[in-house]
Order: sequence, then C-alpha cells, then structure tokens
Amino acid sequence: MADAGYVLPDEELAQLQKLSSDFEPETTGPLVGERQSSAAITTEYANADPVYRVKTAALPSKYAYFRTCRGDGHCGWRAIAFTYLEALVREANVGKFEEEEARLMSINNLFNNVGINYELIIDFAEEMFDLLHKLAHSVSSNDGNADAILLQAFNDMGTSLSIITYIKFLASAWVQAHPADFEAFITTGDVKTYCSLSIEPSQCELDYVAVGALSAALIKPAGFAFEIMYLDRSAGEEVNATVFSQPTDQNGMLLPNPPTIRLLYRPGHYDILYKAEDFPPPVQQQPIQVALANPYNDSFIPSESSVDIMAMIPGMYSTSFGHRWPSVPYEFDASPTPQAQVTPVQPYTPTPASAAPVNTSRQDYMPVHASHQPNHSNTGRHGLHLEGPPVTLPIHSLPPPPVSIERGHLTLERGGPFRPSMYELEQINVPSFQTSIFKNSQYNTAHYMNPDFQPEAWSPDTEYGAGHKGKHKPPAQ
Amino acid sequence: MSAGAKKRIMKEYTECMNDPPTGMKINFNEQNMTKWEVLVDGPEQSIYAGGHFKLEINFPNEYPFKPPVVSFKTKIYHPNVSNDDKGSMCLGLLRADEWKPPNKVVAVLRLIQTLLIEPNQDDAIEPSIANEYKENRKEFEKNAKDWVKRYAK
Repeated sequence: MADAGYVLPDEELAQLQKLSSDFEPETTGPLVGERQSSAAITTEYANADPVYRVKTAALPSKYAYFRTCRGDGHCGWRAIAFTYLEALVREANVGKFEEEEARLMSINNLFNNVGINYELIIDFAEEMFDLLHKLAHSVSSNDGNADAILLQAFNDMGTSLSIITYIKFLASAWVQAHPADFEAFITTGDVKTYCSLSIEPSQCELDYVAVGALSAALIKPAGFAFEIMYLDRSAGEEVNATVFSQPTDQNGMLLPNPPTIRLLYRPGHYDILYKAEDFPPPVQQQPIQVALANPYNDSFIPSESSVDIMAMIPGMYSTSFGHRWPSVPYEFDASPTPQAQVTPVQPYTPTPASAAPVNTSRQDYMPVHASHQPNHSNTGRHGLHLEGPPVTLPIHSLPPPPVSIERGHLTLERGGPFRPSMYELEQINVPSFQTSIFKNSQYNTAHYMNPDFQPEAWSPDTEYGAGHKGKHKPPAQ
Repeated sequence: MSAGAKKRIMKEYTECMNDPPTGMKINFNEQNMTKWEVLVDGPEQSIYAGGHFKLEINFPNEYPFKPPVVSFKTKIYHPNVSNDDKGSMCLGLLRADEWKPPNKVVAVLRLIQTLLIEPNQDDAIEPSIANEYKENRKEFEKNAKDWVKRYAK
C-alpha cells in the first residue's frame, strides 16, 4: 500500500464515482400509462416558458390524446414497442398478427448473420411472440380485452424489459446488417462497437440510429407510418414533426392513411401521442364528460334566440373564422361586470401575473360586446398576429369563466404523472383563479372558448341539440 | 423477485452444471438462489496461482436487466477489487451501463479469471494498487503473493 494520505482522496473519488454511476433518477408512475387527454400536457406547461406554453397549447387540437411512459431510461424503446403492438391491435385483423409474426421470425436469421447468437436472446424474443399470440387470440375472439392485455403486459417490468431487450437486439442486428444506412450517423467507432455500446446495453436510451433502425425493421414493413413530434425550445409555435416511416405498397406507392405511430419527444424523454381519429368515437372517457358537463348545466344552456342575435350583429360572422365559431353561446351575460371593463385599446389586458405570450398571441380576437356573450373569435390556433390586435374595435376583458372549469380540467389529469399544478394548490382560493392566465388561455381545450373545446366525446349535438356542427370543422391551417 | 428472474437464474445454473466452467466451483442453494457462492482457483499462469478465492454473486431483483453484483469474500491484492471488507468489483460488463441482458454469469466468471491473469489497470477501483502494478511490478507481485499466502490458502 502506498502512503495513506495519498490513497484516501482516490478512494473517496472512487466511492463518489461509484455513487454517481449507481445513481438512478427517481421514477414514478406506470411503465405505460392510460390514454388521456393531451390537455394535461398543456396544463403541465402552463407555467413554463413561453415557447413551451405556446407549443403545448397548440398540441391538444392536433393530437387529442397521449399516454405517458415512465422516464426510467427505457421510455423510448418502450414507447415504440407498445405503439407497434397497439397499432396491430387497432387493425383488429388476426391475419395481420400472423403476417407480423412470420415476418419477425424470418428476421431472426439476421441475428446469426451479424454474429449475435439468437440462442442468447431467444428468451426475450419469446416474450414478444407470446404477447403477439395473446393479442391475436384476443382480437380473433373479439373479446375486447386486447388493449387491457397489452397495457398489463407493458406494466409488468419483466415482460416489458424482455420485449425492450428483444427490439434492442432487433435494432442492433438491423444496423449491423445495413451499415451503409447508418454509418453517417455513427461518429465513433465501427458499427458493431456502436451497437454494442449504444443499443444493446440494458441502460441505454433510444437514440436516432435506433429510431431509424426500428422504423425500418419493425414499423415500416408492418405498413405503419411513424412520426416523432419534438417538443423543445426551438423556434415555432407547434411541436416539430419528423416523419420516420411512410409505408408503401408493393409498387412503391405511398399507402393512403396508414395507421400511424406517433411519439412525443421532450429532451430526454418519450411519450406517446394520438390523433382523435386514431380511435373511434365511443371512447370510455366518462369521468371527463361528467366533470365538464356539470359546470355548464346551469349557465351554459344556449338559447336559440341568443344565437339569432349573434347572427344579426353586423360583421359578427363575416369572416372566415366565423364558420368555425361554436355557435353555442356560453352565457356570461348574466353578470354585468364584464361590460364595465370595456377597454378600447388592448384587448384582453393581462394582469401583471398573466402577461404571457400565450395571451397576447390571442389578440386577434373578434371584438364583441360583452352583452352578446361569446367573443370567441378564435382564429388559427397559432397566433397569426402575435402583436397585432385588430385595431378598430373595442375589446373586453374576458369574463372570468366559472372556476369549476378548472376543477373539471383537473379531472383530466387523473392518475397522470404530473406534478400538482398551481391550480390544484389554489383550488380553494377562488379569487386567485380570476387572475390566472391559464384559464384565459384558449389554447387550453378545456377552456370554454377554445374552438376545439371538445374533450373527445363531448358532443354539442347531443348536449345542445342539432345545429351546432360548425364547431367540429377542422380549423383552417 | 419475478418468476422470469428465477427461471433465468435456474436456467443458468443448469447450464453451469451441464458444462462446468474450469477452475471454479459453484455452491448453489435453491432456497436462496439469488446468492451464489463461487470458489475460484487462482489461474496457474497468474501470480494468484495456488490461492482459492471465495466470491459471492448476488442477483438483483431486476436480473437479467441489471447486472449481478460480484464481490470477493477472500481478500485479494488486485487493482480491480476494492481493498475493504466488501471486496467489490465494478468494471466491464458488470457495470450497469454496459450490462446486456443476454450476458450470463458464466461470462462474468470468465471475466474474473481473465482479470486475475491480467488486471485492467485503466479501470481500477484501487488506484494505488493499479499505480504500483504499472510503476513497480515487482513490488506489486510480492504484495499480491504475500496476500495469497496470508488469506487465500
């Protein structure tokens, strides 16, 4: 042994090094969560910086649902494996399961070809094939359990990690078998070394190379499209979509409307996104319907007469966006207070606390007299005129929506991994809601003025009677 | 511990029985299958020849998705084994960020045999011993043999 005075710091260093390499971030939540309204993401970022706020606010109108994946370093792999199987389930075609099984079996040759002993990964592959069988069986018997089986399997740590291990080696084998496609992205070492260090280990996150490999090996041949939405601080007012797979038919023609796998990427983390049309209308989102419907029962009953009044106001519906207006009036006129707040200059004068770009980007409001209720002149969702309010007409501060909207909104977050938000904390403190920005943000689909205010199954047609279909028109881009 | 992990450990033990790795003996207790006791002989061509080292292999609950934890129960003078009562090792495939689920315990044991023959001086847990191994090989060999006599006979 050398002298102790010299050794000790080294030992301490080694100890610290060990501590740091053993460190694992605390992770909570299900491995794969239930599908929920993506308005929860908007809520999560309500207090974030403006770029995130704008982007997350625009999210729910395009991507109605999302699903969390636990941020334990496996999330990207897990998200791809889950969505691939889920897309198969959505196809509801047993033949497709059989095709995919046969195709994956044939890929197994690839392992031996690139020097990966298939015997070593057979246990993991079997978990994948077992699950495929279970799902195929459920789909063929039409028992409606396939979704639950899939979710349960992915929330079992062993099954989930086995399938992840399988697709990691699938990605590795694919990269090694197609080095020319990936060499450009591999900056250090040869392809084999790269796979050994950056794809195969238990603790390694999904990177760009692996995304490309799985897209080519797993997703595209299955006839699925694959997009990743990047939510970061880059310029823009929406998440940036990158398309990784556009499936084609035998003749190389793009398939029309293929089933699409969508992931949401936030630096370091993947979740799953869906469009509303990925799921047929009768979704079981009862809690949301109930929660949102209740607050409106008393005050939001539209009256035909008020609709007529709206239509008579010159200019009220003269613009193109008039069509998209919910013609359902939300009755706030009972209170005269908003009228007293008429301010001819800045629409929507924000309180100091709420001076937020999300708000200012909404200044292209159709000015409306408060007594005529819904001044939801919501144009495109992306703040067409960030600084340019219509100059000629007076605009009112928005009447404060009922606090119960917030409560209703909170129910959207049931079980999600999100931190308690300020709304939760201040829930009791009713007055504070009156000045909160978030409730004024029409980017929030839970907000009564959002043109896409429709937590999936909310249907004005059934709720308020026929004649308000304009609400569902797709927003102009 | 999950059923999958148990199945996997059992399978690996069966493989070890069918094809016993040379120079070592595995004590397996079915009541406590997550803790293996392995008696490793110092390889003939190494300075540890003649010594018998008791190792403990602990399988984490998440095995095989996390690496097994290896520790020397017999004191050994080696750059890659911590010089304390833990005798822990953490390098190469034993590291959490390098471990691959298809890796097997046999591979771990082979790695250890290799390290007894040739320590890895760049990935040392005991920098002072590594330094001695690098700078003063004679002194290192003397100390190592001394410890074999003292602890590993």
